[in-house]
Amino acid sequence: MIKIDHVSKSYDGGATTAVRDLSLEIRSGEIFGLLGPNGAGKSTLLNMLAGVLAPTSGVIELDGVNVATNPLAAKRNLCYVSDSPDHLLRLKGHEFLRFIADVYEVPDDVRAQRISELAREYGMEGELDNQIQSYSHGMRQKMMIMGALLPDPAVWILDEPMTGLDPKASWLLKQSMRRHADAGKTVLFSTHVLDVAEKVVDRVGVIAHGDLLFVGTVDEMREHFRSNGSLEEMFLELTSDNSPFAQGEKDGAAAGETR
Amino acid sequence: MARVAAQGFSWRQFRVMLRVIMRGEQHLDSTGMGLGSDGESRKGLWGSLGAGARKVAMGLLFLLLAAMFFMMGFMLGEAGTTPYVAFSLCVVCLVGLTLLTGLYQAVNILYFVRDLGYYLTLPISATTIMWAKLAHFLGMSILSDLIILPVGLGCLLSAGAGPGVWVAMTLAFALCAVAVNLALVIVCVPIMRFSRLAHDKDRFSRVFGGIIIVLVLAVGVGSQFAFQGDGLASLASGSEQLLSGGVPAVVMGLLCPPSLFARLVVSGDALAAAGGLLAMLASVAVYAAVLSAVSRRWYFEGVQALQGAGGKRGRRVEGAELTQVTRTRGALAANLSRDWKMMARVPVFFNQFVLSSLLMPLYFIAIIAVSVAVGVSQASDAGMDPMALLGMARELTGLLTFDSPALVWCAVVVLVFGLFLGFSSYSFTMGVSRDGEDFFFMRGLPMNWSAYLAAKFVAPFALSSVPMLVLFVVAIVALGVPAASGAYLILVYLGATISLGLLSLGLGALFPRLTWDNEAQLVKGGGATLMVFAGLIVGAVVMVLPALALLGCALWGVFAAPVALGLALAIFVLECTALAWWVLGPCARSLSRRERS
Repeated sequence: MIKIDHVSKSYDGGATTAVRDLSLEIRSGEIFGLLGPNGAGKSTLLNMLAGVLAPTSGVIELDGVNVATNPLAAKRNLCYVSDSPDHLLRLKGHEFLRFIADVYEVPDDVRAQRISELAREYGMEGELDNQIQSYSHGMRQKMMIMGALLPDPAVWILDEPMTGLDPKASWLLKQSMRRHADAGKTVLFSTHVLDVAEKVVDRVGVIAHGDLLFVGTVDEMREHFRSNGSLEEMFLELTSDNSPFAQGEKDGAAAGETR
Repeated sequence: MARVAAQGFSWRQFRVMLRVIMRGEQHLDSTGMGLGSDGESRKGLWGSLGAGARKVAMGLLFLLLAAMFFMMGFMLGEAGTTPYVAFSLCVVCLVGLTLLTGLYQAVNILYFVRDLGYYLTLPISATTIMWAKLAHFLGMSILSDLIILPVGLGCLLSAGAGPGVWVAMTLAFALCAVAVNLALVIVCVPIMRFSRLAHDKDRFSRVFGGIIIVLVLAVGVGSQFAFQGDGLASLASGSEQLLSGGVPAVVMGLLCPPSLFARLVVSGDALAAAGGLLAMLASVAVYAAVLSAVSRRWYFEGVQALQGAGGKRGRRVEGAELTQVTRTRGALAANLSRDWKMMARVPVFFNQFVLSSLLMPLYFIAIIAVSVAVGVSQASDAGMDPMALLGMARELTGLLTFDSPALVWCAVVVLVFGLFLGFSSYSFTMGVSRDGEDFFFMRGLPMNWSAYLAAKFVAPFALSSVPMLVLFVVAIVALGVPAASGAYLILVYLGATISLGLLSLGLGALFPRLTWDNEAQLVKGGGATLMVFAGLIVGAVVMVLPALALLGCALWGVFAAPVALGLALAIFVLECTALAWWVLGPCARSLSRRERS
């Protein structure tokens, strides 16, 4: 479970806020999609959850463990796939996975089998002995996803995970997320691809200008808008400059309604 | 491809391209000339202060070297060397330096550029792109080449030459610098078009980087002897002979055509100098025309060949082999393995931190071997038996006991040697910075940051200190130093190198530089040069207290020898303990909280 309690983040000592007083609870066994336009604060929020950024104020807990006060224990429950897959490029695929397995202390008796399964599933069996720098963008993304799945974490956080993936890998990722959630674990991912969100998520959160504008299921979103339009149309209306929610946030009135 | 066929030069496009390139093109590698910006911008008052201070420090360093070369030239003049001979020395050094590092730099500037793939899609001719890149390259090269010119100018001052000669020599040198770089690129373009080695950036960087490191060390060894006695004057005279005629002059003429007219410019009257300068200009123009023709034919093809080049593919790893290669390791071993692989597989890091560290003992072995050979030869000439000399030396070192001030002086020498090793301490300082953006990936993992830093200490220590330690032990055994005293000196050496490494690593962890675009930007350029010199200050900080304890006996007689020796060692033990705590505690905690700035 992920619990975010009145979290804010400012990069410039409070002059502007990338994430503003955001509260949210994501239950175990749930896939939660975080939607928002570019610069909305999605990556900042996910980086705070992953412990890469410290919140300026507020508390984040992963399965009851405070990320700020006990980062190591919190991170052992979490795997994070960032929006760029260009990491440790000089390591070979199996070296990268071994490093991840060592850091997460994946038991010796399961790691090779798990690596083998993941490699087969994502079509990377023939690539494990190559340096990551020789991979295409999509293959690097697959490798990061394999690294995140290898420790079988309780919480899985992915920032724009579909970017660069071929249709099969994209489908596989969605399956992995579903399986993960069905096993009682938590999946949180951000995306721009609204169709993906519509088909995969249990609930969505819409974020813009650092404010969480809406949290609920896609059906609740439709009901809210009394609209039969696509998620894309609702999203555009919700995050537009004329959005009643955005205006409400400014007035400090609508926050309670939308959450 | 219609666009490639239209390869005419466009002045308008040239200006646009040059502006783009100068504003911040990303290089897969870098020139390493040390005078350009390192491309990293920092915000705020501290950022601008830091950048300003770095520029001032680099400027001072440049001026210091220039002043040193100027004095050298002046002394040559005072010793009877003519301005033409001094200028010949400048030109030969210029050609030598360009041959040493120029091809690597030219390839980096012209080919290993991240944005080059994008340029391929633009309707700009190859000739225009190449000339824009070349103009940038030449500008940077000439700036760094100018450091050699003060040798000639110093000689002019000594000879009391008029201002016209000064201007003529400066212009002649600049034309020589342009010509030799053009010659280099004329060779470089076909190599990049047809050589397989050049298409694999990693292999190319490793091979040429390795050659450069070896040659630099060779020059270092050679300079130990060249600058003794009349070595420099002999070098200048040899340079003049190179330009005087025969095959060497033809080779020099091909590499640097303006050198053929140098005598006219430097030693002739005003008319001859003007004619010589015109001839130099004409030879540069001819090379420019040749380069234009060569680049029109092969530059784009070379660039396209690079875009399609790929690394070698690995085998399929599965079953028992997969189990074997992914077996469990501890936190330290996992970090050490990752760090070592990243360092050894990045050519720039390999050359800078691995190869140069491993070659350093060879540098000393070469110096010792040559010195011993010279000593033996001189002893033989004087009718002395070299073995008898060694026996005398062993008798003397046999007196190095704990109550002997001689042992105290030996310990001081070890400290001075440790201080000298401060030059290489930046391999510790750069430990965290080497990870760059990967650091922030690891920030998302449940990392043991103490193990991470411990691994960052082990790799450079094993590379820089252990080979020298072996050499040190061999010297102690060969010279017959008593076992206890030898062990003491080794402990002092270890204390000096460990404390130096720990302090450098800790400082690098507290102030890491993680936002670089390419590896060479980190280890070359102004900031890196300053860091090498800053290593001396770090060395002085850790060695000042033990040195005072030793000098308290050796110079001031405050302590008895055993007390001074014990005190120095105790201080090192305390320092190493405190620094290890500091690195593995506060520094590791600081890394666990570090965010992107």
